Amino acid sequence: MLYRETGDFKSSYATDQQTFPIRSERYLFWGAMVIAFLVVPFFINDYWEKSVLVPLLVWSMAALGLNILTGYCGQVSLGTGGFMAVGAYACYKLMTAFPDLNIFFVVILSGGVTAFVGMLFGLPSLRIKGFYLAVATLAAQFFLVWLFNKVPWFYNYSASGQITAPERTIFGIAVTGASAPPWATYLFCLTLVFLFAWMARNLTRGTLGRSWMAIRDMDIAAEIIGVQPLKAKISAFAVSSFYIGVAGALYFSVWLGAVEPTEAFGINVSFLVLFMVIIGGLGSILGSFLGAAFLTLMPVLLKNVMVGGLGWPTDLAAHFEIMLVGGLIVFFLIVEPHGLAQLWRLVKEKLRLWPFPY
Amino acid sequence: MNQHIDPGTLRADDGIERGGMLLHVDNISLSFGGVKAITDVSFDVKKGEIRAIIGPNGAGKTSMLNVINGFYHPQEGTITFRGEKRRRMRPHRAASQGIARTFQNIALFKGMTTLDNIMTGRMTLMKSSMLSQAMWWGPAHREEIAHRETVEKIIDFLEIEHIRKTPVGRLPYGLQKRVELGRALAADPALLLLDEPMAGMNLEEKEDMSRFVLDVNQQFGTTIALIEHDMGVVMDLSDRVVVLDYGRKIGDGTPDEVRNNQAVIDAYLGVSHE
Amino acid sequence: MVLQARGHGVSPDFLNFIETVLNGLMSGVMYSLVALGFVLIFKASGIFNFAQGVMALFAALTLVGLQTGQVPFAHLINAILGTDIHHWGPGLPTVLAILVTMLVMIALAFLIEKVVLKHLVNQEPIILFMATIGLAYFLEGMGDLMWGADVKALDVGLPSGGSFWWEDVTRAWAPEGADYFGMYIDTLDVSAAIIAVVLVVALTLFSQYTATGRALRAVADDHQAALSVGISLRSIWVIVWSIAGFVALVAGIMWGAKSGVQFSLSLIALKALPVLILGGFTSIPGAIVGGLIIGVGEKLAEAYVGPIVGGAVENWFAYMVALAFLLFRPQGLYGEKIIERI
Ligand SMILES: Nc1ncnc2c1ncn2[C@@H]1O[C@H](COP(=O)(O)OP(=O)(O)OP(=O)(O)O)[C@@H](O)[C@H]1O
Ligand SMILES: [Mg+2]
Repeated sequence: MLYRETGDFKSSYATDQQTFPIRSERYLFWGAMVIAFLVVPFFINDYWEKSVLVPLLVWSMAALGLNILTGYCGQVSLGTGGFMAVGAYACYKLMTAFPDLNIFFVVILSGGVTAFVGMLFGLPSLRIKGFYLAVATLAAQFFLVWLFNKVPWFYNYSASGQITAPERTIFGIAVTGASAPPWATYLFCLTLVFLFAWMARNLTRGTLGRSWMAIRDMDIAAEIIGVQPLKAKISAFAVSSFYIGVAGALYFSVWLGAVEPTEAFGINVSFLVLFMVIIGGLGSILGSFLGAAFLTLMPVLLKNVMVGGLGWPTDLAAHFEIMLVGGLIVFFLIVEPHGLAQLWRLVKEKLRLWPFPY
Repeated sequence: MNQHIDPGTLRADDGIERGGMLLHVDNISLSFGGVKAITDVSFDVKKGEIRAIIGPNGAGKTSMLNVINGFYHPQEGTITFRGEKRRRMRPHRAASQGIARTFQNIALFKGMTTLDNIMTGRMTLMKSSMLSQAMWWGPAHREEIAHRETVEKIIDFLEIEHIRKTPVGRLPYGLQKRVELGRALAADPALLLLDEPMAGMNLEEKEDMSRFVLDVNQQFGTTIALIEHDMGVVMDLSDRVVVLDYGRKIGDGTPDEVRNNQAVIDAYLGVSHE
Repeated sequence: MVLQARGHGVSPDFLNFIETVLNGLMSGVMYSLVALGFVLIFKASGIFNFAQGVMALFAALTLVGLQTGQVPFAHLINAILGTDIHHWGPGLPTVLAILVTMLVMIALAFLIEKVVLKHLVNQEPIILFMATIGLAYFLEGMGDLMWGADVKALDVGLPSGGSFWWEDVTRAWAPEGADYFGMYIDTLDVSAAIIAVVLVVALTLFSQYTATGRALRAVADDHQAALSVGISLRSIWVIVWSIAGFVALVAGIMWGAKSGVQFSLSLIALKALPVLILGGFTSIPGAIVGGLIIGVGEKLAEAYVGPIVGGAVENWFAYMVALAFLLFRPQGLYGEKIIERI
């Protein structure tokens, strides 16, 4: 069976299902990957690492996770901060309890622990829908943060109540702790994000992804068609929480190095990630990255312009930023509910026909 | 994997002869609070036939389909499908036993493409593990391709190749109805329930849809139970007809028998519709 | 009083329990006030307005700003023009300031309808919900830009501080010579409770006996019916958001007078969510009862469970109650059971 989509031939279903069906887009993607993996590490410095690139990767991971749950499966969660905290504390406990365990596995296991907690808090989704569920996830948010604050076992009875990441290495190179070189932490995060983004893409285009979207679009019909709501929803919570847990583990161990739960994992984190997903595009892998990039880079840019360029006080810039983010959320919901990802798609369509529109 | 699956051959192979009993509905009663939607209704569906369920608005037809596929739980009575008796079950269980359906008010997955909607219809037949799906490799990939082939046959059959990659929310009503039929067919159903498949269509669309329904029945041997208000269509298509009124069964037989049944004439045909 | 068992008196433990309950009721009133704003908007437009708490914050900020004669956006203007302005004068008298704030809230309602809601009419509820989260951020940022983010004292002349009279009365209930010094009740809380009651009565009268009120109720029941009454849906939305703005102002005044006008005020919106789940989204009595239950439950949990697990149970108690409750009655205390159909 052959069919044609402006220029490229598809000769089998396998190629028809590939991620970048258009050749130029495929080149663009691999070009970007080559730069990200092979060029950036040579130029990265402390500022770019801690203020731009690692935050970007960590938030992308979290946004991917929330997008699976909210964008693909339609279950709104305001508990992202709490689940990131689970990832971070699992990471801390594993790092300190098993000093010889490779940090890569520590991070993966932290994701696993979070997936389990996420499944527990996902159970109510079988009975509760829409913003009722959103409120129920607030229970997870506040309870979890409180738990990590109040139970000393989680922070190994440290006097400050903070947790601090010890140094851990991969192939002999430190990726956590104060002396980790920027390129190493960056590459560590990049590899994980690349790997899991690829898996997210696969999951969302296969059977499981279709069962999530079916639940999202029309849950009753989905069940009648043969989708098991229990399986679909709980797997969405599990996979989503896994990603968010990995993000939390990286956030703590690689990016910040030391955290205090109420500061680092408050309700604002939940909102921030939700905004990334909305602005980027609900139900889009690319959107998760675009949204994370937008909300990570915008404040940096604003700060540089307003504080660095115009000489405004920092708090003023911060207020301006909050207002702008809020305005943008409303703007996107009105003008382009499918977010930046959809804008990109439209631009692409224009470019593809260029210079002969019709 | 199955390289070649025709709708109707896979699960229809259950030892029941064509013309044997596929479904028994026995003494079903269903109420919502005070409203009695169905009162003590019994009928059966034979393998390979087209069975119509007719009746005025609010007669309980849709509720009956909902009982058959487990979405509503009747207070009284039992359903026997392929020799298995039950009263309560989850809808997805009914689906995996081979009952598929379309809905009175289109219930497609609006954000998904035509292709994905129909692929979702094969949900109960796809088995690969989450891990292998995440890798998009080996069994998951092979399974995806094999099912895609079947789905493409359905797409050809329904003549909707051109909208394969279109999100269904953007399609016109008539095409959406067709995609919904495709999604139901994708399940290789042993019993296909159609709730007003031609409602709201113009004459030409109705003729197309009638043709598809007949073809499904004749080419694939799929048993069909359908609700329809258009009497012409019912008389043309169906082998036997059940008539409901106010939740009760008032007639059952061939189209001709029903047409001449006095109770039916009084209760139903006498009442003007649309 | 039954409590005043003659001769031996009431045990101080029990009196402490009563005090906790009373304080819970008082803070419950605050939750009810915010929840009330939610319910009003939800009933009339089906929108779950997450920005209700920030509206309270914004109203309180505006009120303080007007009272003290702050120049709006002074900070911003100074940063851009290099000037150093902050106040334009001694400020407005309280009553006038409240009136002007109310006008600002009405203008806000108008703008929200015009800029946001109008464009989102037929969207799904969850999209509207997220839009109001965006709105909340916008208003928060704007409030800070306009009036500065420092914690401000708000004084509208309501009595405040503990009631000595009540302390004396309750001390007498304890047995002679017991180590008990009477109950502490903040007079401000009492005024808040009274004002809340007045507000609810006023709203009820308004919806029962005025044409607009009846139209509002009609919209809640059936949008078509309301249109036939002759009021456009859009002006109804403006009215409802204005009323919600008014309720926000009252809540902002109370909360601000109690603990200062600051960002945490907007977080009571989050506390109002579990209240709504208990009370149902469409029931005014539900909002009030739900608020009181959460208020009392929280204080009791803090007093009796808190010490065992290290305190701050208040942070999550309400949400856990809501969660547990949802599992058994997904439709709320007063909501009807939903039978889904297809
Ligand atoms: N989920 C439900 N909750 C309450 N009442 C219901 C529900 N589903 C159906 N009913 C009631 O049961 C009765 C039968 O409804 P049903 O939808 O089965 O009728 P129908 O024969 O399909 O009518 P139509 O031709 O209009 O589709 C009606 O009175 C309807 O109001
Ligand atoms: Mg019907």
